[in-house]
Amino acid sequence: MCSVCMIEMNPYVELHTHSYFSLLDGASSPEDLINQAAALGMSALALTDHDAIYGAPRFVGAAREAGIQPILGAELTLHDGSHLTLLVQDERGWHNLCVLITAARHDAAKGSAALPEGLLGDYTAGLIALSGCRHGAISSALLTKNPVRALETAQHYVDLFGRERFWMELQHHLLPEDKRINDDLTRLAKRVGVDVVTTNNVHYATRDRQPLQDVLVCIRHSTTLDDTSQLRPNSEYYLKSGAELAPLFARTPEALRNTRRIAALCQFELRYGLQELPVFPTPDGMNADAYLRALCQKAIQDADFPSEVQAQFDHELQIIHASGLSNYFLIVWDIVRFARSNRILCQGRGSAANSLVAYLLGISPVNPLLHDLVFERFLSAERQVVPDIDIDFDAARREEVIQYIYGRYGLEHAAMACTFVTFRARSAIRDVGKALGLPPDLLDHVTTTLDVHKATQLNESSSLQDVLGTQVEMQTWRQVFDLCEQLDGFPRHLGIHNGGMVITGAPLSQRVPTEPATMENRFVTQWDKEALEDIGLVKIDILGLRMLSAVADAVEMVTRLTGKHLDLHALTFDDPLVYDLICAADTVGVFQVESRAQAQVLPRLLPRCFNDLIVSISLIRPGPVQGDMVHPYLRRRLGQEAIVYFHPLLEPALRETLGVILFQEQVIKVARDLAGFSAGQGELLRRALGAKHPGEAVERFRQAFLTGAAARGVDTATAEQVFDKLRAFGGYSFPKSHAAAFAVLVYHSAWLKCYHPAAFYTGLLNNQPMGFWSPAVIVNDVRRHGIPVFRVDVNHSQSRCIIEGDGIRLGFNYVRDFSIEAGERVVTARGSTPFTHLEDFCKRTRLPRRLVENLIAAGAMESWGRERRDLLWALGMLPETRTGLDLVIPSETVTLPALSQHEQSGMEMAMTGLTTGDHPMLIYRRTLQRRGILSSTDLNTSPAGKQVRVSGLLVVHQAPPTAKGYRFLTLEDEFGFINVIVRPKVYTRFRRTVREQPLLLVIGEIQHEGGVTNVVAVQLHSLSYFLTGLEGQRRIFRA
Amino acid sequence: MTRLWSGGAVIEVWLNGTSAPERLRWEGRVHPVKMVANQWRVDLGWWRLRVWRDYYKLVTTTGLLLVVYHDLVSDQWYVQRVYD
Repeated sequence: MCSVCMIEMNPYVELHTHSYFSLLDGASSPEDLINQAAALGMSALALTDHDAIYGAPRFVGAAREAGIQPILGAELTLHDGSHLTLLVQDERGWHNLCVLITAARHDAAKGSAALPEGLLGDYTAGLIALSGCRHGAISSALLTKNPVRALETAQHYVDLFGRERFWMELQHHLLPEDKRINDDLTRLAKRVGVDVVTTNNVHYATRDRQPLQDVLVCIRHSTTLDDTSQLRPNSEYYLKSGAELAPLFARTPEALRNTRRIAALCQFELRYGLQELPVFPTPDGMNADAYLRALCQKAIQDADFPSEVQAQFDHELQIIHASGLSNYFLIVWDIVRFARSNRILCQGRGSAANSLVAYLLGISPVNPLLHDLVFERFLSAERQVVPDIDIDFDAARREEVIQYIYGRYGLEHAAMACTFVTFRARSAIRDVGKALGLPPDLLDHVTTTLDVHKATQLNESSSLQDVLGTQVEMQTWRQVFDLCEQLDGFPRHLGIHNGGMVITGAPLSQRVPTEPATMENRFVTQWDKEALEDIGLVKIDILGLRMLSAVADAVEMVTRLTGKHLDLHALTFDDPLVYDLICAADTVGVFQVESRAQAQVLPRLLPRCFNDLIVSISLIRPGPVQGDMVHPYLRRRLGQEAIVYFHPLLEPALRETLGVILFQEQVIKVARDLAGFSAGQGELLRRALGAKHPGEAVERFRQAFLTGAAARGVDTATAEQVFDKLRAFGGYSFPKSHAAAFAVLVYHSAWLKCYHPAAFYTGLLNNQPMGFWSPAVIVNDVRRHGIPVFRVDVNHSQSRCIIEGDGIRLGFNYVRDFSIEAGERVVTARGSTPFTHLEDFCKRTRLPRRLVENLIAAGAMESWGRERRDLLWALGMLPETRTGLDLVIPSETVTLPALSQHEQSGMEMAMTGLTTGDHPMLIYRRTLQRRGILSSTDLNTSPAGKQVRVSGLLVVHQAPPTAKGYRFLTLEDEFGFINVIVRPKVYTRFRRTVREQPLLLVIGEIQHEGGVTNVVAVQLHSLSYFLTGLEGQRRIFRA
Repeated sequence: MTRLWSGGAVIEVWLNGTSAPERLRWEGRVHPVKMVANQWRVDLGWWRLRVWRDYYKLVTTTGLLLVVYHDLVSDQWYVQRVYD
């Protein structure tokens, strides 16, 4: 039967549906629900998630694609906990729904809702109300056999919504009381003069999702399937056809037909497009366009730009004016101005750096004219969307910026975008396993060793095989894996986007509801970044970047130590010593170019100018890697292969990158030059290539691309080849503008490392976690640069790390469990009088015993000349009062053996995450030398192809998805790093050793390539097993 | 006194046009159904042993009041409870 006939014959559409955006309740995605509705021949479907419209944009998108009328609404929780189903009729109704949800959410705990009493009546216009499920006030009164209350409530709703917009909702899930309740509801409907309507309170698209829904309920209530009484009694809450429901409503067939009457009343379409932004107050009655022009013009005059700037400036302003975005630019400019005037480091990132106007306003740090950046990548006449502007701020001070925005525009007009924290392999196993009653310890073990990220890959996981052995075939584990696979990608709870802020002129709640986040006084929109983008709501990303904090800290230290203000923006990106450092891959801690992959490329790329830095950070991205651009680029740069272009037409676009595609912008240029795409069309193509589900959209572009190329005389084979390259390249790359903005920070951080290393490292250590390396590796790098690192000391440390003489003194922030406040307490108690002994310390600081223990174990009290064990013993003898540790009481003295150096390092490592003493490998060095095991420095002089044994501390283990099963290990010894490549077969054999052993011994073959040395592993073993001389291991080494 | 079969006792059931019980044979005797007093469905326990059943509370013309169920997994009919 054709779908049109099915729709004609189907009198029923579902008006009460929960998707998985009814968090931990609904068990199907909006798309699955729409697909099932289409399969059943429904002409419309309503989405009524609990107190939320999270899923609305996706639901509407899927419905339109399927040719189904989307009806938006929500199941609202009222002040008494009862539910009411609300459906949106028109624009006014949408505003009212948003206001009601916002109100219900704001006074309730995170994740719950309760509409304040008396509020509903003011916001019923444009909304249709259905009386609700069993938790509806009327049904629950009937269930508890209170017909008087049911009647009063029904009359109340009729008063609020009117007879035309209030409907009695009948549901039948084959439960024992359903028939009686429906009979009562039908009688009540007649009594108050309203009609009845059937819904099925759908919680999943198809019956087979019932187990998942049960598990979600258990997760929500933190209980197990065996222990809960919250499960629904059967599996009837799926999307049913009218035919299936008809026998259950034989006495009220109009209830089924009425669903389509209601659907016809709901003509609301979600509004797309730019929100009404607040009007930025301009001086002297100037309009926003004129004020923006004046600000930029002044910047041009002040900086004495060359004359061609004016033409680009006029071009950009024309497009900005035409798009009505001058006001938007002024709002962003104002935020940056606030930060700068308060000495908060900030700089724009992303596509804004394509804009000269953004540069002139101080939003972006990059002059686009110097780097051939394309303005249309940011904003174009064809693309009717407002570009996001992303700005990085000193992470430690970002909150000040956010508070400024709230203060300036008001809490009703500004909110952060939400994020949905979704189920992945680990969280899914943990939660599903718990619901199925599996032991928590086992689940911990399974999840901590798990080697896959997506719950859909559990069947491929080898770690599960290792941990569970034959248990993986047990019914419970099979159920866990099946359910986890279904659960993959489900939203679990809401988080705050790391910076996206929506600002509106009219109250935000008229457009999208907001709700409280975990953080106090922080509210998030009910749409995440993607949804906001789909709808067209523009957000400004107020991002926190820890590297900016580290740089700000370092600059402040240098200024304080030298007495001269250090202005990094005065640097000119041409210092050869800075490039020497980068070329030598001496880049631990340097922004973006510190990773192992970068360090492998730098000695081949040998960057000598700012543009090289842009290339360098753009090269190691999934796009260029998957598009096979990296090695051709490097070979061409080194003159090892000729520069060729896919087609001569592409030479202008790809000349700067030697014929390969490195930057996002080049997608636009390639489409323009080869296929005649306009800049705006090219941008749409780029977006399609980078979309999560490229599919059909890309195919449409492909046709246009091939046609356009043919019109320019390009043969089909070449055009197809280029398009395939673009497709492989995808969207996973930096725009050149973004790379250029980041390159500024690469240079600044490298410059600091070069000229003020102590300040640089101190800034880094005070802003962890950040970057690629752990503090332990950074500290070893510090020492390799001849800067001593002093351990935490109660008489010398501050709450954070500081420069002390020629070295760096670790702060109390590195001691386990120490907050900045606890550190401050020690510093304040110390004042100018050093602590003289343990009792003195305890009496003056009144720190909890646990923190004092941690200080002792970290070696922070060694300057008194007492052994750590003695101190711990003495601490145990101190009586403890409610206010902390009290005065000394005499005790017997005991003699305890001193800790070995090894034990001391171990304790320090446990307490601070690093060791200021010798590198662990130094302890073994003599033995290793005797046995012919090489160090990292020995490797460089060993010939390629030679089989060697090396050993070190495993500091990084990478398995990039692009590497086809290859693993990359980085070992560290006291001299530096050892790069180890592990082939898939070798990894399978030695997986357990690699995952469980911190100190590794690798037997492998030396490989030198482009100034980089790798060891291609043949065998991997535990160094301790080798050194303790286990027989089995010895045999291996003789082999 | 009510007689209860927690595991259910197999019975033979004849259905009418709407798939509801019309007659049943229990303890060797056929009992025509006079009225379905209530009916409901359960679907529980899938993680151990799925219990997916349609229950019927029936009054027979022979004067019995009893609860029977149709096990949807095995497609068998059982009597669970006979009221005194």
